Amino acid sequence: MTFASAHAAAPQGMPPGHPGYPPPMPPAVELRSVARRYGSGDTSVTALDDVSIAFPPGTWTAVMGPSGSGKSTLLHCAAGLDRADEGQIILAGRDITRAPEHVLTELRRRSLGFVFQNFNLVGALTAEQNVALPMRLAGVRLDRRAVKRALADVGLGDRGNHRPRELSGGQQQRVAIARALVTRPAVLFADEPTGALDSRSARTVLELMRTVVDERTGQDGAAPQCIVMVTHDPVAAAAADAVVFLRDGRLVDRLAGASARQVADRLATLED
Amino acid sequence: MWRMSWSTFRERWTLFAGALLTVVFGVGLLQASIMVSLGAEHPRIPAGSTPGETARIKDAYEGAGSLLGMTAMLACFLAVFIIGSTFAFTVAQRRADLALLRTLGASRPQVVTLLFGEALLLGLLGSAGGILFGIPLMWAQAYLLTSNGILPDSFAPHWDNGVLLGSVAAGVGMALTGSIAATLRAARVRPLEALRDIGGAARIMTPGRWIWGVGMLALSVAMVAMEGGADFLGAMLIAMGVSFSGAIGLSALSPLVVPLAGHLLRPFTRFGPLAELAQANLRDGKRRAAATAAPMIVLTALVVGLTAMLGTQAKAGGVDVKRKIVGEYVVTSNGVDARRIASVPGVAASSTAVTADISLTVTENNGTKRGYRKKVQAGIIAIDPAAYQATHTSRPVSGSLDALRGNAVVAGPGSAEDGVRRGSTAVADLGDRKVRLKVVARMPATLENNADAFFVPNWLLSEDMLAKAEAETTVKVASGTSPADVANRLRDLRIGKVQTVSAWADARVGEQMKQNNSVMMVLMGLSAVYAIVAIINAMVIAGTERRREFAVARLTGLSRRQVVRSALLEASGVTLIGVGLGLVVALAALGGFLFGPDGLEVLSVPWTLIVLIVLGAFGISTLTSTFTTRAATRPAPVTLAAARE
Repeated sequence: MTFASAHAAAPQGMPPGHPGYPPPMPPAVELRSVARRYGSGDTSVTALDDVSIAFPPGTWTAVMGPSGSGKSTLLHCAAGLDRADEGQIILAGRDITRAPEHVLTELRRRSLGFVFQNFNLVGALTAEQNVALPMRLAGVRLDRRAVKRALADVGLGDRGNHRPRELSGGQQQRVAIARALVTRPAVLFADEPTGALDSRSARTVLELMRTVVDERTGQDGAAPQCIVMVTHDPVAAAAADAVVFLRDGRLVDRLAGASARQVADRLATLED
Repeated sequence: MWRMSWSTFRERWTLFAGALLTVVFGVGLLQASIMVSLGAEHPRIPAGSTPGETARIKDAYEGAGSLLGMTAMLACFLAVFIIGSTFAFTVAQRRADLALLRTLGASRPQVVTLLFGEALLLGLLGSAGGILFGIPLMWAQAYLLTSNGILPDSFAPHWDNGVLLGSVAAGVGMALTGSIAATLRAARVRPLEALRDIGGAARIMTPGRWIWGVGMLALSVAMVAMEGGADFLGAMLIAMGVSFSGAIGLSALSPLVVPLAGHLLRPFTRFGPLAELAQANLRDGKRRAAATAAPMIVLTALVVGLTAMLGTQAKAGGVDVKRKIVGEYVVTSNGVDARRIASVPGVAASSTAVTADISLTVTENNGTKRGYRKKVQAGIIAIDPAAYQATHTSRPVSGSLDALRGNAVVAGPGSAEDGVRRGSTAVADLGDRKVRLKVVARMPATLENNADAFFVPNWLLSEDMLAKAEAETTVKVASGTSPADVANRLRDLRIGKVQTVSAWADARVGEQMKQNNSVMMVLMGLSAVYAIVAIINAMVIAGTERRREFAVARLTGLSRRQVVRSALLEASGVTLIGVGLGLVVALAALGGFLFGPDGLEVLSVPWTLIVLIVLGAFGISTLTSTFTTRAATRPAPVTLAAARE
């Protein structure tokens, strides 16, 4: 199952197929017939079974499914955190299926951002230092203005000197988003980003993610933002452009522009 | 990375407190030992000392020097060992943090740099503390050496500013060396571990632990297998070897062995849910239990094993001496008065050994042109060969005691290991003149420490020397005469102390034990301090990291007091296992003595020490566990159970 291809911004009124129409952009992440099994013999579990899916730039996709359906494994394999047993994974234009550790490290620095359910900020560092951390790890010259802007973009311009324990859960998650986006990665992987938040903080975080996808269109040179998000929450999933459903390691459905109720109903039928 | 090292160090200083304390102790001890050693390099010999007194003072300084050398080496070894285990524990506790850094793009070399940066900071701060701590410790060490009689009261340590630079280098070196294994292990943390607790995060028995643990245990088993056929010296070497290899092996395998031993505590679970929870936690918290039990295993095995070994050696020396004497009494007097003993009615034979206050320079001509020269000042005994043979069964392994006439000398049991050969020459310095002597016989080695080094003929000593020298006369009572009557007659001479051979030998054993205890106190006291630091450290780190678990237990229905009691029961179980396994190692180490090597069925078990170790270990674990659990359960449980950070 694959999304429709995304295109760079075309001149107004130009129909697709016109000779001047920009060529389709390659997916930010693509899984081709990926399989992943854990254990061996009788205890073997197939977490992903022949999964093919592409996540184009400028799109936000939610991944849903019952417990044990393979959502997290899909995210881990797509992000190069786990190895696929079969198939191929293309990330930011590179085949990472058998990529060595240093290549994956380099990709994590330049092309990927992560947002976790439990924020995972470094407790010893201030919000500003947390946001600057990926740049410092990548050895690029620290652009303090970019760091401050990233914090301001998530509404925490005045909280730069606070340590994580001095911030609320929602604020910590916003710092984590600023940290994930400061290097302008091609793909943002989010693992239950609203799972530990109250509904108001969750709404703020989802609005923030929506803004990032809508506003980073690729016109400033950086690739349009792609977000892949694993969630249990139909409200969070409904904020995405599309929702894909997994069951027993297989992709079974896709809903585009669905409401929270529709997402919840579909999930309920899968869980039956 | 360096800034991050500093931030982490400042933020999580409790994790590093134990390691920091260890570096402070290590640097302080090393510095103090070096300063005291420097003081011991130039013995202060009071004016007018005789050659014998000079020799004794020099020997004491030399002995203190080597003891301090061993102390310094042991301090370095223990510091590296404990920093290693502390770092391994802190890395294990911070695995998710390190995985997060890897997820954010940190490369493996960057993780290594971060942890080495922390180790460097630890080393620098520890050195600063160690330099300060080393000053009072230097005086304490000097006091310990003089008050135990190892060094004379005139001794003073020597301050040298250059040593301080060495202290900084040592502190940084200890911290970096100790952190190597944990740092390299941390570099292998996978980014995925930031998202879930898998793989290496759950694996405690690393290949290094397996290799080290199984290798050392195999070595121990091989040595134990040889115990049956070993002579006394072999049994001693095996005891020393097994104490070390067994302790290291079991502490490396402790994540496996301690939870397994925890099964033995199953009967206690009948005492209620708290005991059940404690036993389950002990088996489940493998890393925590192992980190606490390992230093207990090492401490108990080394202290009990080595003390028992030295005690057994002293005791066996006493038995050996008794076995080789044919007589009932030993009279201690001066050399001149000793002559009166032979004429006491009822004395069948007597032989006097006079401690000669002379020096001997032995020149060994072993066929090469160079040979070697050695000056001996202690353990030179003047005897009458015929009388000696009448009261002692020991005979030379080469030559004959009958040849100890004229200008002759016999290499005694104390120089049996030095390789002095028959035919070598020795020049005796008698103060006013020198006499050239020839080595005519060699005596076999004995089990006694400080055995006589050389026998010289008693004509060598002048009347004046004899009057000043200490003499021990072995007395054999004539058959048909009451030994008690002879003893009374000897006492009536009023020339000195009259003891039975048994009492005299026991007094020598007692003296040897006292010396052993002084040395063990200096060396093993140090190990005990380190072990205590390691135990407290492991328990404090574990307690702090268990705040959420305790909170969940309270939300499940346990009162704060019950949580504290359950943690205390768990700590007591770990202590029991740690000390128990240490005693098993010590028992295995001493097995060689049970077979009666060299016909000596002797074993000295330091029961008082064992009781003190058991009480000390339980005392420390009880106090630390209660304190840390109470501190960890102070906040309201709901705030901790909900905490994510």
